[in-house]
Amino acid sequence: MFEVWTMMRKEFAELAGNRRFFLVFLIAVLAMAFIPSLTYTHHHAGLGGIGVTFLAFYIPFAAVIVVANTAPDLVLHERVGHTLDYLLTTRLSDRAIFGAKVMTAFLVGYVAAMLAVGAQLLAVAILSRNGLHWLYLAVPSARIIVFGVTAGASLYVAVVGTFVALRVGEQRAAYMVTILSVFVLAVPFIVGWIPLSLTTQGVGRDAEGLAIIALALNVIGLRLFRRDMLVLYLQE
Amino acid sequence: MDNHAIECVGVARKFGARNAVSDLNLGVPRGSVFGFLGPNGAGKTTTVRLLVGMLRPSAGTIQVLGHDPRTEGDWIRAHAGVMLDNVGLYDRLSAQQNLEFAAQVARLSPAEGRRRIEAQLKRVDLWDRRRDRVSGFSKGMRQKLGLARALIAEPELLILDEPTAGLDPSNIVMVRELLVSLAEEAGRTIFLCTHLLAEAQRICDQVAIIQQGKILAIGDPHRLGDQGAPTVRLTLTGVDATAITHLTLPDQVTVQPISGNDWRAVLGSEEEVETVVRALVEAGVGVRAVIPEQVSLEEEYLRLVGGDNHV
Repeated sequence: MFEVWTMMRKEFAELAGNRRFFLVFLIAVLAMAFIPSLTYTHHHAGLGGIGVTFLAFYIPFAAVIVVANTAPDLVLHERVGHTLDYLLTTRLSDRAIFGAKVMTAFLVGYVAAMLAVGAQLLAVAILSRNGLHWLYLAVPSARIIVFGVTAGASLYVAVVGTFVALRVGEQRAAYMVTILSVFVLAVPFIVGWIPLSLTTQGVGRDAEGLAIIALALNVIGLRLFRRDMLVLYLQE
Repeated sequence: MDNHAIECVGVARKFGARNAVSDLNLGVPRGSVFGFLGPNGAGKTTTVRLLVGMLRPSAGTIQVLGHDPRTEGDWIRAHAGVMLDNVGLYDRLSAQQNLEFAAQVARLSPAEGRRRIEAQLKRVDLWDRRRDRVSGFSKGMRQKLGLARALIAEPELLILDEPTAGLDPSNIVMVRELLVSLAEEAGRTIFLCTHLLAEAQRICDQVAIIQQGKILAIGDPHRLGDQGAPTVRLTLTGVDATAITHLTLPDQVTVQPISGNDWRAVLGSEEEVETVVRALVEAGVGVRAVIPEQVSLEEEYLRLVGGDNHV
């Protein structure tokens, strides 16, 4: 755990010096805060419980945008700068190196999502001139979407983004594959294998499912990207 | 305790059908400076990766500081400082932050980490630039910072892969002086992959020349070229070529003309030089000078790897 924390501190120090990251972070937070706020204040009278719950989906979306940018970048920056080769010569374990990247990308996305929630509540209060109120957070299923689905989606994208970038090694391709992996998640709902449900039980199941898939992919990724295998990928 | 810091026996590593390293046998004594010389693509970097457990050998056994990189790679990486040919510094971080990360990875206490960071940055003359981002550093500064990072854990074994690659002459001198000072520190083993043969000859206790994954020669850099028969250059007076060719000499000794009064004696052993001089004097030939001939490391390197692989 100490190694993961060491790596994560380095990752955050690097992100602090990355202007592109801050730009994407800011755009995602502001866009996901103000677009739904404007929708809400515009349709205030017409939005029922379902409509308000739908607004909650902007939050995991904000997280996905930020994580899909951050996770591949954390790896590709190391590949291009040959710092990944350096890391592989240190005592840090493979799990610490990649686990820290997944955790960092996940946390960054989750924090962005939570900031978007705060900004939304503030924006709605200002735009509607009705003072602060809980908006969709008053609805239990929406709370699961905001906190649970956001966590599951962030973890899933963080895992996919990290390991895809390790294998692909090219910025645009890694970003594309990561974004496509999010759409892959929609397939079971579109095909009808999993019925779409906005009930508390339904979204709770979706959040759990996402987290399980993400954790399973993480285990597979750590097994596939052993040190000696990774060196071969870096040589390609 | 094993007196070898590194020991490779019959080590091979294949990438597909290509042999990157084959039948590698070498022993690096503890506390010595070992030069690993060879042209680009000879297998030097693959060997470094095998030593620290980044790659697994296809065949053979490796022991580094008495541990097997296949099963105890973590231990080896914790006790060896490695600097690869691409130094791999974090451009978005300052010089100090780069070393702080290395100190944390080495699990140094914050106070000890600060002490060593200051010592290493001063050693490589980067203390005044410690807060500057590495992205603004020259190649020479990066190499020096990479060396400082490799030293932060005060490792028993230092593995340096082309520490002077891509540097201009002034930076080469700077890094060379740093290597000389490191080599003078007792107890540390340095495994140095380099293109700088003069420097290898100056600071290495032993060198190996590798090409296409195979070791072509190994030994003392000052005597690597003398592995054949010893030779001396003779400057003679009153030369009578017929008399010289009819000298009574041991079987393996020959005396051949070079030009004018200069001749070369190829000996069976260094002690036979006396026999040759005595025979010449007895034949009425004056001997003005006897100079042992030594093949430089560079000459031997070029002879072994071929003229196309200039260093």
